[in-house]
Order: sequence, then C-alpha cells, then structure tokens
Amino acid sequence: MAREIEFREALREAMSEEMRADPRVYLIGEEVADYNGAYKVSKGMLEEFGPRRIIDTPISESGFAGLGIGSTMLGLRPIVEFMSWSFSLVAADQILNNAPKMLYMSGGQFGCPIVFRGNDGAGGQLGSTHSWCVESLYANVPGLKMIIPSNPHDAKGLLKSAIRDDNPVFCLESERLLSIKGDVPEGDYVVPIGKATIHREGTDCTLVGFGRTVYFCEQAADQLAREGISCEILDMRSIRPLDMEAIIRSVKKTNYCVVVDQSWSFASIGSEVAAEVHAACFDDLDNHVHRVHNDDVPAPYSHDLEQEMLPNARKICEAVRSVTYNA
Amino acid sequence: MPIDITMPRLSDTMETGTIVKWHVAAGDAVSAGDVIADVETDKATMEMQCYDDGTMVSIVVNEGSPVEVGTVVAVMAEEDEEVGDAPSRPAAPATVPAAAQEPDPVVEPPVVPVEEPDVIEAGGEDVESKPVESAPAEPHLTMRGHVRISPVARRIADEHGVDLASLTGTGPMGRIVKRDVLAAIGITKETAAAVPPAAGLSPASPVSTSISSVPATPVDSSSTSMPIKASDIPAPSGYGLQPWSEPLSGMRQTIARRLVESKTSIPHYQVSMVFDMDPMVQMRTQLNEQLAQHDVKLSINDLVVRCCALGMYTNPLMNASWGGDCINYHGDVNIGIAISLPPERGGGLVVATIRNADRKSLRVINQESKELSKKARTKGLTIDEMADSTFTVSNLGMFGIDNFTAIINPPNSAILAVGAVQQKPVVRSGEVVVGHEMTATLSNDHRVVDGATAARYLSSLKELIENPGMALV
Amino acid sequence: MSTTETANHVVENTVPVPDPEVLKSWLRDMLQIREFEVRSMQAYQNKLAGGFLHVYNGQEAVAVGCIAAMRHTDPVITAYRDHGHALARGLDPKIGFAELFGRIDGCAKGKGGSMHFFDRNNSMFGGHGIVGAQCPLGTGLAFATKYTDEVIKGGTSDSVTACFLGDGALNQGSVHEAMNLAVIFDLPIVFCVENNRYAMGTAVDRCTASGNQITNRALAFGMESRTIDGMDIIEVYREMKGIINQVRATTKPFFVDIDTYRFKGHSMSDPRKYRTHEEEQEYEADDPIEKLTRYLLALKAMTEEEIKSLSKQVRHEIREAVNWASQSPVPDVSELHHDVYADTWGDYTGTSLPRYMKPATDEDATSGEASNGS
Repeated sequence: MAREIEFREALREAMSEEMRADPRVYLIGEEVADYNGAYKVSKGMLEEFGPRRIIDTPISESGFAGLGIGSTMLGLRPIVEFMSWSFSLVAADQILNNAPKMLYMSGGQFGCPIVFRGNDGAGGQLGSTHSWCVESLYANVPGLKMIIPSNPHDAKGLLKSAIRDDNPVFCLESERLLSIKGDVPEGDYVVPIGKATIHREGTDCTLVGFGRTVYFCEQAADQLAREGISCEILDMRSIRPLDMEAIIRSVKKTNYCVVVDQSWSFASIGSEVAAEVHAACFDDLDNHVHRVHNDDVPAPYSHDLEQEMLPNARKICEAVRSVTYNA
Repeated sequence: MPIDITMPRLSDTMETGTIVKWHVAAGDAVSAGDVIADVETDKATMEMQCYDDGTMVSIVVNEGSPVEVGTVVAVMAEEDEEVGDAPSRPAAPATVPAAAQEPDPVVEPPVVPVEEPDVIEAGGEDVESKPVESAPAEPHLTMRGHVRISPVARRIADEHGVDLASLTGTGPMGRIVKRDVLAAIGITKETAAAVPPAAGLSPASPVSTSISSVPATPVDSSSTSMPIKASDIPAPSGYGLQPWSEPLSGMRQTIARRLVESKTSIPHYQVSMVFDMDPMVQMRTQLNEQLAQHDVKLSINDLVVRCCALGMYTNPLMNASWGGDCINYHGDVNIGIAISLPPERGGGLVVATIRNADRKSLRVINQESKELSKKARTKGLTIDEMADSTFTVSNLGMFGIDNFTAIINPPNSAILAVGAVQQKPVVRSGEVVVGHEMTATLSNDHRVVDGATAARYLSSLKELIENPGMALV
Repeated sequence: MSTTETANHVVENTVPVPDPEVLKSWLRDMLQIREFEVRSMQAYQNKLAGGFLHVYNGQEAVAVGCIAAMRHTDPVITAYRDHGHALARGLDPKIGFAELFGRIDGCAKGKGGSMHFFDRNNSMFGGHGIVGAQCPLGTGLAFATKYTDEVIKGGTSDSVTACFLGDGALNQGSVHEAMNLAVIFDLPIVFCVENNRYAMGTAVDRCTASGNQITNRALAFGMESRTIDGMDIIEVYREMKGIINQVRATTKPFFVDIDTYRFKGHSMSDPRKYRTHEEEQEYEADDPIEKLTRYLLALKAMTEEEIKSLSKQVRHEIREAVNWASQSPVPDVSELHHDVYADTWGDYTGTSLPRYMKPATDEDATSGEASNGS
C-alpha cells in the first residue's frame, strides 16, 4: 500500500523497520535522539526505541564513527548519522582506513556491517566547509559501498538494503531533497544496491545523474525536448557498485553521454563514468563523453555565485547540445 | 653446525651495507643480542647483532667492503660445538661487482647512447632532416593520415561501405559524425530511429538492375531449372524497405561504365529461338551416368558453350569484332561465361574466358568452367582469365528465367542469353506431348552482324543442340 | 618485587600473587614473545619479512600481565607493536610468522602483515597501523559487549575491553574523543598506555604536555587512573586484576599508565641516536623476564637448569615455527580480490576465514582462561 510521504520519513521508516526486526541495529550520531535529529530524520525514534538504541553523541565524529566500526567487530550493525558529510572529514581515518579495510586487513576475520548516512552536497548558502560533495573523494576507496537515493521510494528501499548489507555502506542524502514527497510502499521492501533505473526514456542522448542531479537532468530534458532532443535520464541510485551495464546499454542506443556529477571534476565519479564509457562504448560514441560538475572552486556563500557553481539545467542543456553537435 | 652470519637488512630500503667496524674477532665468545659489528646502511650507521650464543669462527667480509644484504659476512659455531668442527671459509665473497670494491667508490652511471629521435610527422620542427620522400601534406580532413571521425560514424561507414573521403564532416574541426554518415546513406534523424542496429543494416542488393542486362551464369550447377525456394527468401524484417544509398564499389563502377558504353554505342538487336532439348537432356543423362565413376557431371551450359564454339566454323562473323574502320575476325574461339559473385564478395559479375572452346572436349570445358567459377567467387580471377573473349554466353536458367535479353560484352559482337530448360507440352509429329524446351536470345552488334547472319547462326546452333552427338566430336 | 607506592595508589593491593605454576607459564609466555621478536628481527634482516617491523622486546610483562588479568573472552585491541599481545592472547607463533612472511597461513592470509595481527578466536581485535585509531574502535568493542549484554540479552554488562596504546598516541585527537565517549557512555574499557617513553624518536616530555604525569590526561575526563610498573609482571597482573574487576563491576572506564621501556628502536631502521647507551643499559638491567626469573629462583620454584631448559624449549619451538612459516605458500593471486567485500560482485570474490581458524569451542575458552591464571 503506497502513500505519499517525505524523503525524511522514508529514511525514518527504513531505519525503524530494520531496528524492529534486528536488535543489533542502533542509531548513533549528533542530535539524533533528544533533538529528534538535526533534520528531523530520526524524529520520534527515541520514544520508540529508547536511549540505549537511539544514541546522542558529543560533537566527535572520529570518536563515534570509530566506536560504531569497533562495535561491528563484535557483531552489531550500527547506523551512524553524520549531520553533514562535510563533518565526516574529521572522521576520515576511521571511515576510510578502518571500515572499508577491516575485512581485508584481518584476512576475512572481521567484516564491517555499518551504515554511515547524512546530508551531502550544497544545502543552500552554507559556504565552503559545509557544502561538501564527498562522493568522488570517498568512492575511490575499495571495500565500501555508496548509495545516493533521489526519491523517497528509493531512499527507503536502498537504506534498508544498506542496513542489511555486510559491508560498510555510505548513504548520501541531500538536505534539499528531504522534504520532497513521493509514493512509498508501507512495510518491507528493498531496492538493491548497485542497480540504476531509467528515470526517463529517450533516444538522442544519455544523461547520467546521481541523487539530486537527477532533478537537474529532468529540467534540462524538458527544455531539450522542446528543441527536439530526446534525453534518456539514468538515475544511478548507487555509486559503488556503479551500474555500468545500464549506462552502456543506454549509450549504445543514443551514441551520446553526458554525466552530471555534483562533485568537482578532477578525478571524480564523472571522470570514472567517462573513462568506462569510452572503454566500453568506443565504437558507439559519436562524441566524447561530456561532463557537468561543480565548478572547480570552493563553494561560495553568495546565492547567485553558488547557483552558478552548482550543476544546473542550463549547464546540462549546453552540454547536451554540444555533445550532440547541436551547439 | 656452523651458523652463517649474513649482512642484515637494517632499513626498509637497504640493499647493500658496509661493515665499518667489527667488534669481535675469530675465537671470541658471543651471546645472542651482542653487537658484533657496526654497519653503514643507506640511512645510518647501525648495530649488527648476534642472534645465537657461541663462538666466532671466522670473519668473512672485512671492514670497508660493501656487500649485498644476505651475503655471509662471518661464521660462528653454536654454544656446545667444537670450534674446530666448523670448516673454514674462503674470504671475500664476490657478491658485489668488482668495480664497487675498487678504491675509487664513485661509480659513474653507465653512459647510455642517446637514441636517434623518432621520425616526426610532417609539420614537425625537424622537417629539414627528413628524407625527401616524406609524405606530402594530408588533406584537411585528416590528421596524421587518419580521418577525423567519431567512432560510431566510422563503424556505420564501415558497415555500409561508405567511402570516408567522399564525406564532409560537420563536427568540430571537420570531424565526420554520425549524422554525416547517415545522411550519406540516406537516413535522416526522423527515420534513424527505425534503422535496425548494425547487423540488420544490409540493404536490398542493388544488383537487380544489372542482372537484367548482364546475367550471371551458374556454371557450377546443372542448368536445369532451379527455382528459388521459399526458404531462400528472407523473412520480413518488420521494418519494410528503407531508403538507402550505397556507395559504388570499384567493380560496380566498371560494370556501369562498360554497359552504358555498350548499350549506347552498339546498335543492339535481338533474335530468339526455341530449342527442342529432349535429345540433349537425354544425352546428358546418359553421359553423366557413364561419367559418374570419374566424378564428372556435365551441365547443359557446358554443352551450350561447346555448341556455340562449334557454330563459329560456319558463322565466323559471330566471332568477330567491330574495328571502327574494319571488322576483325578472330582466329581463336574464346567463349566468355558470365559468373555472378556472392554478396560477401561485393556482388556484381565477371566474365571468365574459356579459351579455344572449339578445340576443347566437353570434359575440359566442364572442368574449366567449374574452376573459373569457383576462383571468381573466392579468390577472384586474374586479368588473363577474363581477357580475350570473342563471344559470350549468359545463363539465367537456374533462376527459372525462360527468356531474357543481354547486353553485348565489348569487343564481342554478340551474346547469347540462355533461359531455363523447361518441361512443357510440345508438338512432336503432330501430337501434343511432354517435352523439354529452351529459349535462347542472341543480342547482336548490327555493325558486324546482320539479321540474316544471326538467324543462320541460331539455325546452326539448333542443328548442334538438337543433334548433340555432333557436339561430342 | 611489586612496588605499589605510586602517587595515586595508596591502598594496599589485595590481589594475591599467583601460584608458581602460573608464574612459570608467564615466564614461558614472555620468553616466547622475546624469542618471537628476536627471530622476527632476524627474518626481517634476512628479507623474509618486509614492510615495517616494530618489536616488543622489553615490554613483554605488559601484554602478558594485563592479558593474564582478563578473561579470554574480554576483547583486546592494540596498535602496530602488536605481536606480544597476539601471542599472549594465544596466537600460535607459526601463524604469526606466516603473517610476517606474507604467507597464506598467516592470521590475515598475509594481507595484514606485522602491524595487523588479528585473532578472532582469541578475542584479539588487531593490530592497527594508525597511531591512536584503535582507541575509538576499542570504545566500540566495549560498547558492543555492553550493548549485547544489556540490550540484546537483557542482562548486565559482563566484559571488559583492554585498549592498548602508546604514550605517543596520547596526543592524537581520536584518543581524546575515545576517552570522552567512554566516560559519557559508561563503557567498560581500560586504556592501557604502554608508556615506553618515546613517541618514535621523540621523548615523551618533548611532545606531551604534562608528560611526566600522563595520568593527568585521565583527570581531565574524570576518569580513574593509576601508574604501574610495567617491568614487573606480578605488579602488572595484580594491579590490572583489581582494575579489570572494578571496571567489570562499574562499567566505567579506567586509564592505566604502565611504565615500560622499548629495548629496541621504534622500527628496524631506527639507529636510536635520540637516547644514550647508558639509559638503554639501565633499563635493560630491569629486564622483566630476568626479573621474573630471579623471583622464581628465589622462590625455588625453578632451578637454573629448568630455566635454561625452558628457554631452550621455547627457542626450539620458535625455530620450528619459523621453519614452518617459511614453508607456507605465498597467497595465490586470486587472494587479491578476496576479502575486499563480504559479498561477491564485479571482480570481488567474497570472503572466507583464514586456514588456521576454526570456530572457537567452549574448551578453547576455558583452557585459555586457565592458562591466563584467572
């Protein structure tokens, strides 16, 4: 039975359902309990599960991230909330050095079933230190998985998959999407990690989007349709594993590809997709893959500058026209 | 058991070490943990420790000599062991190259001769040093000999045999892009979506027009009627026919040029005749039964070729050529046979020559026809194998064609278009019976062959074909 | 003998000195670690072992004494100078050497190396390479035992985690964060600082504020603390036994400053120019193994001959372990993509336990506890 709920409610349902089903699951992070979550994702969970399982922490990301990782070595399955992925940088050693490598370093003795989740990407005039898009930085590390839901339905299904996964899973949410509503089934279902979905079918150019950029792609595709260019939008949903097969299938059909990635361009997911597409679709490409990224500058505070810095529909339209030789 | 003491690795990057001082001498008692020497490594001077209790037997590497990690530098005997039991060791192992042990420790890096720089493409700065026969400047479309073209455009062009040189690229820097190739083969954006992907793209063969003018001869098969089977007809693709444009192959260009020339410069006319084929069919059946043990199987076409050749003796004008101001009579009777080529070799047709067919037995004609046909369809024929024909036979009987006209293959003066041998009701001795008939149509160059001449030749042929025993000898 | 007159410890320790048989087993354990480290150095110098090697010579009483005071199921976690803890926990030396040599029979299939000795069956949670990074993990272990006992099983917390760190780690932020979390979450963990006086080559008083009294760090967190003599295994054991019991009962963390000394350099390429030969000799005279040996001789629990024989036996065992490990195959190339993810996808082939491991049995657990003298 589906009904419309907010993205944040979908995340909450995923966590609550999994916590009811498995006592090893707990939620830990800054302001997740008493405060009901800095972004109200965990609202009401303290009442249901109590302070032993919904755990407020000090402002101490390295400490509580490491605590969560350590607890997996004895079989627990924590959900660690970062108020923002920007704050995860101070926990980088724990989340990059320990979580994804524990299984390997211990020769298979200790896995690390943990979920790190929180807001990723520009919130809105938060300035440079609070506007991190960590996906390209973190997805570089083998041993972790990374999901980036774009809508409430996928948010619930992917987060449930993540909580059940036996590997560390980084769940990247967007502050700008938490309030959007969408159809979400009640009760248990999962969206598999590593499977993209075709957000919109099209014939002339493939647009590869991740999380919030899917909406930018949508706006661009509407405009381009008026110009007679039919875009196929892929919502990747997962970054690691990346569903390259879905991209390849689409590019073989359209012969053109534009990747829209809200992290910086240098050594990014966008460049990874481009490299893979060039390798797998070499004889199917009519132009090299075009990429739309954040501008290669720190995120500015000023509203107009920030909008100019982010990927947006205008930049995507320009890239599609250029890649299809319609510029 | 003597214990070897080896040069220890004292840092993660150490490859060789030098013992700068021995703290022990042969005969000294040592204990595990004792520092027995100082070793200079790449990083620092380090202590070398002893791992066992016992007595030093010999110092193998003296102070000041660099040796590789792992080299035996000393030998000791274990605690309870008699020193004398340990065999003495030769000094100074040669594990480090002799040069490194020379008093002058500065080892110059080996002098590597500077290699000649690679030849740089046209336009490089050292253009003067290049040989004069270097390639001329490339056309603007190319870059270092390669056409600027997108991968998918190249693929589609390859699949459709589009000559890249004929295309103008509309992409950046003149890059040929997909739409340029699609335009060249007649596909627009509107129809592109309906184009099946690569494998399904082979268009209907455009050979059809030339088949009616210079038909192919199935020389390697029986010339009895061989109708096309339903299974040979491709199933409908669901897409229907697509407008398509196929660039010309070299062969097709030749065919086009020569036949236009022939049809526009030669005053053609045709005469036809129906032949009673019962005797020849009967004889061929008998002959093939007898020849089966030699693995020979004559075709009707072999017999027709032989008859055409023999017919020249009484009609030498049929074996002549228009010479502008003269008519050239040929001394040899060389019968050309038209051979159609399979699509994988680009389709089209060639005319192979059976030289001196008048002097060759049926068996030889049969064998040559088979070989030329096979070679034409696989490796291709040499110029010699296609040259010097004086008369041509074209046979479409195997397609069930009963009657057609052919275009003269210059410099011949005539070509015989042979239809299928068909069973039909015929009148024999005033009665309608079932018999075999074949229609042949002779196209003639009126400048050389008049109607009466052509008629006489057909009559001669009829004489031979309907009394095929004459063709045997 | 056990000296208990440290600044913050005035109460007489009531933990009895264990039976001579237990002391003998400790001597054996310490000799085993010492010999393991000596042969590790030799193997490193012979290029059998690679990478970095940090040996534990001189600190044996800390690992053996602390672990003897714990239950076999109590988690232990430490930094990269980890051979002693793993062996004291019961890791077979041959498995340790195989790991050092990068062989498939190693505790991490040759993928961890010297700094990453893990042994799940013996509650040894590593072996961690980044200074201080094991401390948040240690609080996680303590959190997990408490959560499991109280939230999942509905009982009371019954385990204590020993999180070892060096004095150099005290200046890492993650260590402060871990101690803060341990206090506010009431976690049953003992931060065992092996104060060997040097953070790599930098003396503790050169790099650590109030380095002459590092228990001041605990004071800031309101955490109970004590300084003990790490060269005297009997003191280590008796003090730790009391602390562990207390932490088990209160589930409140404890900070222990264990004075010890690193006889060798920080790693194998350390020429130790930052300290004097005289200083080294002074501490070497305080060798914990010799100290226990003297005590056993004085007790007449062992004779000189017996000690020599024990020593020889251990050396033989370690030599055999080296031989065994050097015969172990190097990992197949297929191991490269194994153990990256728990599941199978892309190039990744899932995971499996190391060869030597089999599920822990109750028998293992009991014998472990007995041999640890609790």
